[in-house]
Amino acid sequence: MKQRLVLNFSSETVREPITYNLIKQYDVVINILNADVSHGKEGKLLIEMSGPERNVDDALSYLERKKVVVSPVIKTIRFNQDFCIHCGACVSVCYSEAITINRESRRIEFIPENCIACELCIKACPLQLYELNFGNN
Amino acid sequence: MSEKKSYAEINEKIVRGEAVVLTAEEVSEMGKTLSAKEIARKVDVVTTATFGPMCSSGMFINVGHSRPPIRMERATLNGVPVFTGIAAVDLYIGATETHPDDPSYGGAHIIEALIGGEDVELIAHGKGTDCYPLRDIRTKINRSNINEMIMFNPRNAYQNYPAAANSSSRIKYTYMGSLLPNLGNVNYSTSGELSPLLNDPELRTIGIGTRIFLGGARGYVSWTGTQFKTRGIRNQYGIPEFNAATLAVTGDARQMNTEFIKAAYFERYGVSIFIGIGVPIPVLDADIAERVMIRNEQITTRILDYSNPDHPELAATNYAELFSGEITLKGRKVKTASMSSLYKARIIAGLLKEQIKKGQFTLTEPVSLFPRDTSLHSLEIR
Repeated sequence: MKQRLVLNFSSETVREPITYNLIKQYDVVINILNADVSHGKEGKLLIEMSGPERNVDDALSYLERKKVVVSPVIKTIRFNQDFCIHCGACVSVCYSEAITINRESRRIEFIPENCIACELCIKACPLQLYELNFGNN
Repeated sequence: MSEKKSYAEINEKIVRGEAVVLTAEEVSEMGKTLSAKEIARKVDVVTTATFGPMCSSGMFINVGHSRPPIRMERATLNGVPVFTGIAAVDLYIGATETHPDDPSYGGAHIIEALIGGEDVELIAHGKGTDCYPLRDIRTKINRSNINEMIMFNPRNAYQNYPAAANSSSRIKYTYMGSLLPNLGNVNYSTSGELSPLLNDPELRTIGIGTRIFLGGARGYVSWTGTQFKTRGIRNQYGIPEFNAATLAVTGDARQMNTEFIKAAYFERYGVSIFIGIGVPIPVLDADIAERVMIRNEQITTRILDYSNPDHPELAATNYAELFSGEITLKGRKVKTASMSSLYKARIIAGLLKEQIKKGQFTLTEPVSLFPRDTSLHSLEIR
């Protein structure tokens, strides 16, 4: 199973090698999509965790014991494709390969599963067709 | 068969429904196997097109006289100021004019709304004169209740335009889109081998009076565009390597279609407008055939650094590389993307091709050709 999670570290847990332990002890695959440590030393990590269900469950219990607040990704990007003029202004800012332009048809294609909600497309689109969605996936 | 064709001969074929019409992309493909002479014999017309953001655009409207009449000296449409410094009820809606409280809404949105048939609120004020006693008016206008809607764009269809990147450590929001820090991306704006002025680089067929596709309607090239420049470096195919020629275009906006006129907002830059333009090029001889065969890899441009207001040059490139989606810049692979929609440009080139094939669109010989030797002034601060 594969899930996308935001790990919220408090100032006490931010120093622990949490991702190392997750990988080493629970044998889950961790892909860090985005990291953000604020000035007060609290941190947020956007990860994709995958592995056998049991490993993932154990990893989540470990995080709970370490008082890392785990929340499923609630930010998603919605694309109003119907109004798209297929310029390309959003394509070169998207590094997660969620937005691509088809080489043949030259149409913009959006793959929500690849999106890490970095929000760069929201400001890049001259027609304001990308919106931030809050709420569970 | 003669090696040269006249406009009249081509138009006769168009009217008979016998003209051979290709899009500029199709003829570029054909050029891989046929010579220019063969293409000149085979093909009568090549259609070119572009659909990109073109700031220097706008629309004259005449809203009609009220009773009692007013000489409009200040006016807004949906809150966006419009130019009133002409006759009493003639207004010019500049595409990039913005709403004072909403930088993402402006003249382009008003133009799109009027073309789309929506109601727009007009508020105007005049000082009151003996012949125009009314001082204030507030009403609604739309495409059915006003007189003329004349699109007049002082500068569209740039012949070539440098691509943009940003070497600074912060993202730059520009009219060339979002430029990521540390040369994180390259943005460009063209339809490349399909672009009108890149298919007639010496402007042998495009001049004053050329009938074109403009925003879904018939339009005309009315003059050289502003910042029109012919001097400058050209590559071995005669393509200017920097921004060069431009077109001033005009057309009846009431006949236009919002499929081909789209308001846009570029973050922290402002409002602009996407305009769809298609230009037919008559294949009069082998020289023109040679020009319309141009392929993206033969069209060169430069990448400029927008981290510095002087826009220093970073690298030279061509549109085949830029259209591929990835380019090597300073030893790193970087994503590229266009500000101009090739998808839409292809639709326009295809529509124009069909109209010509069906005999609905004939070609015009320019009333006057453009100047051949012009350069630009920059603004001295003194």
